[in-house]
Amino acid sequence: MADVKLKQVCKSYVDGTVAVQNLNLEIKSGEFLSVLGPSGCGKSSTLRMIAGLEDVTNGAIDIDGRNVVDLPARERDIAMVFENYALYPHLNVFDNIAMPLLANKTPKAELNERVCRIADTLAISPHLKTRPHLLSGGQRQRVALARAMVRRPRMFLMDEPLGHLEAYLRLELRREIRALHEETGGTTFYITHDQEEAAAVSDRIAVMSEGELQQVGTIRELIDNPSNRFVAEFVGEPPITIFEGISIRTDGLHMLGLHLQLPAHLQNIAERHGPSALGVRPEHFTLAPASRTGLAARVQSVQPMGEWAAILCDTPAGPASVVAATSDLPRKGESVNLVLDAARLHLFAADGRNLTMIEE
Amino acid sequence: MVNTTNQRLSLKDYVRYIIASVFVGFCLFPIYIVITTSLKSESDIFAWPPKWLFAPTFENFYNALFVFGGTGVFSFLLNSIVITAVSTFLAVSLGSMASYCLTRFRIPAGSHLFFFILSTRFAPPVAFIVPLYLMVQRTGLLDTWLALILIYTSMNLSLVVWIMRGFFESIPIEIEEAAEVDGYSRLNIFFLIVLPLVKPGLITTSILSAIMAWNEFLIATVLTQNQAATLPVYLAGFSGSMGLEWGPYMAVGTMAVMPIMIFTLALQRHLVRGLTFGAVR
Repeated sequence: MADVKLKQVCKSYVDGTVAVQNLNLEIKSGEFLSVLGPSGCGKSSTLRMIAGLEDVTNGAIDIDGRNVVDLPARERDIAMVFENYALYPHLNVFDNIAMPLLANKTPKAELNERVCRIADTLAISPHLKTRPHLLSGGQRQRVALARAMVRRPRMFLMDEPLGHLEAYLRLELRREIRALHEETGGTTFYITHDQEEAAAVSDRIAVMSEGELQQVGTIRELIDNPSNRFVAEFVGEPPITIFEGISIRTDGLHMLGLHLQLPAHLQNIAERHGPSALGVRPEHFTLAPASRTGLAARVQSVQPMGEWAAILCDTPAGPASVVAATSDLPRKGESVNLVLDAARLHLFAADGRNLTMIEE
Repeated sequence: MVNTTNQRLSLKDYVRYIIASVFVGFCLFPIYIVITTSLKSESDIFAWPPKWLFAPTFENFYNALFVFGGTGVFSFLLNSIVITAVSTFLAVSLGSMASYCLTRFRIPAGSHLFFFILSTRFAPPVAFIVPLYLMVQRTGLLDTWLALILIYTSMNLSLVVWIMRGFFESIPIEIEEAAEVDGYSRLNIFFLIVLPLVKPGLITTSILSAIMAWNEFLIATVLTQNQAATLPVYLAGFSGSMGLEWGPYMAVGTMAVMPIMIFTLALQRHLVRGLTFGAVR
């Protein structure tokens, strides 16, 4: 299995759009890395550069220590799964899966055996003689997965493979993709814009925005220690609450309707860097009766999600989203107080850096 | 045709069918006259009012094949078949390759090239027949298969390039990218993936190219004498000094229609629509 290093990779298109800027990223051998980001953030361009479908404008892509930027796609020994399946419509399922093996002239007996085995694994054996247009979306993507895996490539690239599937199929297939990965241990580069999916399938997640890598880490790291405001806002469900217009005084943090004493080291950082915004994860608000201390708020909406509920509140400083156990929910329109956990909040500088992460 | 079987035809459908039938009848009437005349005896051909019911005879075919001009008709038939087959094959294979490159590769001024290729058909053939004659004469190709093959190929190329463009564009690019990642070279992708997917386009352009080459008269009559003359040239020769022999004339006309009709009908059965359907969502 391959170890992949992207070094200072840049991609700009003929029309001048810059898709990827100075990307440095390592995918360790056997690792499942997801790239998460809004559309147009450069994640697909990155994947296509690794695949060899797109030229690298600048920089190097090392696979197992060898720079592959000048190798054509067919010589990179990488398999790819496309969002829209991209099966060969004139071939039946068996031939579709066999295509990568035919390309490298695998002996007939071995080819038969490998195609049948992978078809078994992915539960598409009954359809081997069927043409793709007769299959359902989920079956088609299984065929595409089988076609990618049959060759035992040194790396898998998956470009939003579940994007076109229905919700229940997406859950089922992402469980299978994870299970298959644990079985085969192939290095995988997986693109998605669904953070729940990224969290479910991958070892680490890379967050990209506007062509630049923002942060790489496990889902827990991204939620607890986002390196900047973009990551904080993009990752986490329900999203983080950001209060603008805060000021730092010697006695702590002040904003409309709230005075908060900061822990000593935060106070220290805050005084020196002058943060411009405060971020609070929904689970770090505590709902308290209206008379208690905290941020006065009015409940705007309550969305029960099963065990817990997402609550949207109006505060003097702006809207805040909060989660609370379903057992004890406020009603819509009710006045409550939001108590902040001073140890868990995030202070963002004007340029978006998360000041809370600065080591002193 | 669109109606499902359990649906009753409405008045509008009847009107539509009647109009369509009248139109088709109008278009096919001359062909009907050609075929029936070729089967009539001399006296029936000139009968007035026309005889709609008559005893068919094959004497015109016999006369055309074995009496008039000996067995000459067979060499013209052979010329037509060779020139049509080779020029169609060349036009479709070269044209589809050119079209594929122009659709899939970033070529400077690619769309202008498309227009330029089509513009070769803007002038009526009669406008360049004299220069064409001189070129063919100076290269020593007068009255040869090669001359007509080259000219028909180049005339059909623009047609093939333009029609195939739409077919190539309708193939999702991801299918070709998947093949690239799967380990196939450009050339292999073209032959193993792309060509099977544009089969309807290849058939359509083959039919149109073949019909054009089969029926072309002006260039053939100017550039050939009898060595490489095609059937239309032979047909035109019937109105000669001895007056017009309508019966054998129509018999050769009927025979001239047959090969191209059989070719078209045979290929048409393979015109399956929606080959790319289901490849991608």
